[in-house]
Amino acid sequence: MFVLRLLNYLTGCVTLLVHTDTPEKFINLAAGRGIFIWDVRMPAEDRVLLKIRLSAVRPFKHIARKTGCRFEIYDREGLPFLLARLSRRKALTAGGVFFLLALYFLSSFVWFIEVSGNRRVADSDIIKAAARAGLERGTPRWLVNVGAIEKSIQEQLPALSWVGLYIKGTRADIKVVEKTLAEEKQAGPSHVVAAKAGLVEDVLVLKGHPAVKEGDTVVPGQVLISGIVPPPETAAPPKEGEQGQQREQKEARPAGEPVYVAARGIVRARVWYEEYGEAELVEKGRRYTGRVVTRLCMKIGDREIILKGPAKIPFALYTEEGFPKKIPAWRNLTPDVELITLKYRELQDYILTRSKEQACRLAKEKALARAKQRVPKSAIILRERVEELVVNQPENVVRVRAYLETLEDIGVNKPFSIK
Amino acid sequence: MTWKDLSKRLKRQMSEFLELPGEIILDLPKVVLVGGLQLIVENHRGILKFSSDAIHINISEGELIIKGKDLRLRSVLPEEIWVEGQIKSIAYGGDE
Repeated sequence: MFVLRLLNYLTGCVTLLVHTDTPEKFINLAAGRGIFIWDVRMPAEDRVLLKIRLSAVRPFKHIARKTGCRFEIYDREGLPFLLARLSRRKALTAGGVFFLLALYFLSSFVWFIEVSGNRRVADSDIIKAAARAGLERGTPRWLVNVGAIEKSIQEQLPALSWVGLYIKGTRADIKVVEKTLAEEKQAGPSHVVAAKAGLVEDVLVLKGHPAVKEGDTVVPGQVLISGIVPPPETAAPPKEGEQGQQREQKEARPAGEPVYVAARGIVRARVWYEEYGEAELVEKGRRYTGRVVTRLCMKIGDREIILKGPAKIPFALYTEEGFPKKIPAWRNLTPDVELITLKYRELQDYILTRSKEQACRLAKEKALARAKQRVPKSAIILRERVEELVVNQPENVVRVRAYLETLEDIGVNKPFSIK
Repeated sequence: MTWKDLSKRLKRQMSEFLELPGEIILDLPKVVLVGGLQLIVENHRGILKFSSDAIHINISEGELIIKGKDLRLRSVLPEEIWVEGQIKSIAYGGDE
């Protein structure tokens, strides 16, 4: 039926008002001649309204003359009439055509440039680089050579390792990946200082002057290997020979002045860590049972409408967590409608009774774990010791102290300025 | 008359035997009524009378009288008529 209606619209049809009181005559005649008639109504005794195709008007005129009845055109509909009307209103048609052409023309330019993926390089720098490469606001899309622009931006900004350009309609998305730059080498002189307190086990100097020796106890911040190399002692004059010559060439400066270097070396020391842990003999608390109920709500103003999920939460104890989704505000209109996903997690009270040994083991584990968290990965753990703290009054808690002894490199670089 | 009756009987028996629809062999109208709103008459012989409260349709055996209110012809085709409106009664009438 829809196809028929569409066909009628395309070919055009007219509603006729026929003045007659015997409509059956011409209806039969028309049907016999193959004229398609539909929607025949009789609003009054001597009036018939009916619809025929535009092409059937001429044959119908003939039939009307034959049956001796008058008719007039009541209504016209369809594409041919629309076109005729449009041809009469030329300015309107021209305006419509102009609008479509303008829309098409303007949509073939790049109007928006978006940059994503950058962290250190500023958006404006990338946009400037893109403009130099031939992509800016208002550039026609047919002039954009994606490959060349990508290459050019990457050449202009050495901090980028990859540039991707995507033209989507009037928007150009520039996606970049930045290079991971290696850490800059320190230029000036520096000491190696202790990061932690410890007992120095061995000192390996690669560059600089050792300030501590084996068996020394150091405190954090203490210089371990100095970047200030004192001048060779005048008491030991340079020996004649190969070694002496080399040294003279290396340190060709007036005697008595120290040399400043970036000290490097490994200082391994014994370091102690101490941590506290405790465990209750009778533990009371609340924990999640793992049962979750999700509810989807729509919030309009102050009222909440439950779209999905139970009306009543089937838990006695629970926590509530909401994830609201809001329609973004547009200009000064902030929509009052929110979609909220609420998650209810069931809670349960529990009482746990431990024996003395169990509690002690748990406390030890906790204390050791806490201590090990502070130990760097490269360190070697030499010894672990756990000590129970005994209090006079009987308590619900078992307290434990853990001691760790490690061997690790405690040196860190610290630059200094030459006065 | 006898010859006509005989041929009619023969045709009916044929259609029953071959399980063919009667409207093809016997040239009978097929009337489809959809609720009280729509009536489709296939194999008609034209319209005898048309007004907004009664439509008489010519069929092979007399006429079909449709009475109702606000009746209108949805479409008129050489083989098919669609009637719409508030249909109150359908009756067969005619000279037979």
